Amino acid sequence: MGVNLFKQPKLENPELICGWPGIGNIGLIAVDTLKGLVMADEFGEIEPWDFFYPNKVSIKDGLLKELEFPTNKFYYQRLKRRDLLFFIGEKQPTEGERMYAAGEKAYQMANLVLDVAERFGCHRVYTSGACVSPIHHTMKPRVVSVASSEELTSEVIRYPNTILIGEMGGRESEGVITGLNGLLLAVAKNRGLESICLMGEIPDWLSASPFPYPKAAKSVLEVFGDIVGIGLDLSVLDQMTAQIEGIIEKIYEGFPSEIKERYDQRKFAAQARPAGITEQDAKWIKEHINGFFKKGGKQGGKGSV
Amino acid sequence: MEKDLFEIYQPSQLQSPSLIVAWQTHDVGKLSSTIIHFLNEKLGGQKIAEIKPSGFFPLGGAAFKNNLILVPQSNFWACQKSNLLIFNSEEPKYEWYKFLNAVLDFAEHYCQAKELYTISGRPALTAHTTPRRILAVYNQPEFQRILQDYELEDMTWEGPPAISSYLLWAAGRRDIPGVSLWPEIPFYLAAGEDPSATKLTLSFLDRRFSLGLDLGQLDLEIRNQYEKIAQLRRADAEIDRYINRLESGLTLNEEEQVRVAREVYELLEKRG
Repeated sequence: MGVNLFKQPKLENPELICGWPGIGNIGLIAVDTLKGLVMADEFGEIEPWDFFYPNKVSIKDGLLKELEFPTNKFYYQRLKRRDLLFFIGEKQPTEGERMYAAGEKAYQMANLVLDVAERFGCHRVYTSGACVSPIHHTMKPRVVSVASSEELTSEVIRYPNTILIGEMGGRESEGVITGLNGLLLAVAKNRGLESICLMGEIPDWLSASPFPYPKAAKSVLEVFGDIVGIGLDLSVLDQMTAQIEGIIEKIYEGFPSEIKERYDQRKFAAQARPAGITEQDAKWIKEHINGFFKKGGKQGGKGSV
Repeated sequence: MEKDLFEIYQPSQLQSPSLIVAWQTHDVGKLSSTIIHFLNEKLGGQKIAEIKPSGFFPLGGAAFKNNLILVPQSNFWACQKSNLLIFNSEEPKYEWYKFLNAVLDFAEHYCQAKELYTISGRPALTAHTTPRRILAVYNQPEFQRILQDYELEDMTWEGPPAISSYLLWAAGRRDIPGVSLWPEIPFYLAAGEDPSATKLTLSFLDRRFSLGLDLGQLDLEIRNQYEKIAQLRRADAEIDRYINRLESGLTLNEEEQVRVAREVYELLEKRG
């Protein structure tokens, strides 16, 4: 189980920003886009084979050319106000059939990531993900945050368009951030590092959809821009956002008018209060949502070699 | 070599053997299990070690099939006279990389194995009367050249890797030359047995390792299977037409494939 570092960049108190796939891929899109916008350089990776089964084999003229695994890479960039480390994992290590990281493998990966971060003097860690929320899909998603200490929460609430998770109406005061976006923060806190999770809101009925939700990623990116103190040109997400909005609008048009009417009340209700739709509405949407997302054609069933 | 992973029953007397690996999981045409059983029986294979299941297989209970309890088995067999080391196992459920390296560790460090052969059947859209082919994938061009006179056909493919490809790759990282053999099996024999593919694969192994195998029994099985399918074709014009199309190099749609596969399976496996 190893880490390969191709470079040893000199960094001063870097902050680590991590992204893994999750609901709507909000965190992954936000972190990956930020990494691209600040033109961070790759400098290392976690060897994937202890965590993942390979994705793909390439065989040409009888020779095994390549075996591809999900990537787990480190990047860095030195900015005027601060130095940044990034870690982006294409997949969460799981045990069994789970979608999100859990168990010993996830714990090992979290520790490997933090080992590298601490080697470079990192003192603060950010992860990003999704916060399933009773908002209307036309509303601008807020960023919902959880932090490792009271002091940090007072910093977090000064970020633009950001609230603490406890301020979400209808939420319990306790909960779980699933997968590595949560586990990493816990392991970091145990090591005495500051840790913050920034979660973009996604409408509850879209949380099981198979496509990304870049609008929320954009909200998270605006916060990251504020944190790192640089203006970010976020137009890179506009095309993807427009495309997804088009799909969502089509699904929304298929709602029965009475559900649509109640759902639309979310536009006028104070955000974060479960409003507008009844339990029956939610049941109807849930029952029909798979039909909306169904694609044509059948799985290839080509097997493996 | 992490010794805790193994249960060793007897010391290996093999001298730089060739390692043959077959998986019981997804055993198309029961090819892998038939070949391993045949080799162990004819060559006097002795079980010398096993990889312990803990950490690799779910041990929260016991699976059963056809009224019998199933235990995950990952056994090494030594065929002393032929200098073959055979590994036969279910595919692990967890820790694939560790498991595959355990296979290679045992073969390399305990037995000084010099080369690797994996055997897995591959379903093909062909008729049972079409001569079988063995497609091959190598991890070193030099080994490909060494085996060029054995009538193996080079494969070109891209997609999800089977565990044999993963093992071949892991062996390549250790500089152990290896080949994955993928004998083609007509899709409608994939759920049952294919003595023709078994015979072709055993013929390759016989020639490669000078085993002196008597494959006469398989000729009988092939004739028997041909005759049964011929009877089915005479009794069912539609099945005959579908197999005719395959014999002419044409394809079948999914529904037609399912019909042929079901009828042939019923004939060979259920009615016996």
